[in-house]
Amino acid sequence: MNKQPANSALRLSLHAVLDTSPLAIAVIPWALLTGALAVQAGFTPAQSMFMSFFIFAGAAQLSAITLSNAGASWGAILGSTFVISARHLLYSIVFREHVIKLPLRWRLAIAFVLTDEMFAVSQSHTQRTGEFSPLYALVSGFTFHFAWNVGTLFGIVGVDFLSNHEHLGLDFAIVAIFIAMTFDQIRRRPILIAIIVSGTVSVICKPFLSDSYIIVAGIAGMSAAYLADTQIKDSAQDEVPS
Amino acid sequence: MSSWWLLFAMSAITFLNRYAFFTPSLSYQPSEKVQRFLSYSTFAILTAIWTPIVFEFDFEQGFTHAGWDYIIGATIAGVLSVIRVPSIIVVLVCAIVFFGLRMFF
Repeated sequence: MNKQPANSALRLSLHAVLDTSPLAIAVIPWALLTGALAVQAGFTPAQSMFMSFFIFAGAAQLSAITLSNAGASWGAILGSTFVISARHLLYSIVFREHVIKLPLRWRLAIAFVLTDEMFAVSQSHTQRTGEFSPLYALVSGFTFHFAWNVGTLFGIVGVDFLSNHEHLGLDFAIVAIFIAMTFDQIRRRPILIAIIVSGTVSVICKPFLSDSYIIVAGIAGMSAAYLADTQIKDSAQDEVPS
Repeated sequence: MSSWWLLFAMSAITFLNRYAFFTPSLSYQPSEKVQRFLSYSTFAILTAIWTPIVFEFDFEQGFTHAGWDYIIGATIAGVLSVIRVPSIIVVLVCAIVFFGLRMFF
């Protein structure tokens, strides 16, 4: 990395904050919900905060909250955490060529704040400027981290004010949140198939596979989507006149 | 106390998934097929978690559901999301409908 003058580094950082802020602001309501639901599911405020700080992955946190509230085993919770966050492997693969030569502390720091949002913002910056900037990625990631944690904090504090009711429909909140997070892409055929297969397998397997039904259904859904995707690609190729 | 260990383990898992390909010694490069397979993981797992909350299955009764409030709430969530209403509004509207139904019926 070539040494940049301090003021251009500052400018770059400022750009990263500004470019990330629309996404960071948009995520705050989700962070509020995640903090509030964690406390409702029986995690202490410190634990709920820890989750957003160190796990820092909305879907994984909400899944763990739901599963632990339902009394699932550690195996089930950790297994689904792994599969959900396997998505990050994809980002890690794409970033590899840019970060592999950086010092360890840079790689650790960038990995720590690697999220869907940071990935998107940083990729678009790389495309605009033709060059990956580790500083930009890092600042973007921590901007998002900050918003996620502030939101979580308010969610934790707010849950005491909003409701001391027993279980204010934790399980329905999860249903609505997860549908909202997945159905917006249902027009893509493989996603539709992933949802149908995974949902059906999960409901049918739950009585028999006490805990592993989520992973089994998840893998079934992913496989079905993959097959559908391959088929679509093949038939698209067939249609191209040779 | 025990849940602290769970949270440490989860942090380790999410961090390692992010850091995995930043290790210089790792020379494995997953094929495009593996990457495509992985790209569906969130959709599949989130669906596998919410569906058994709404639907149940056993051999005697076949498919049953957790209640009409759940079915109606979930249907509204689905329809609004498909027509691309921003997700946070979807959640708000559904929550209002769901608790409205519970209060009045």
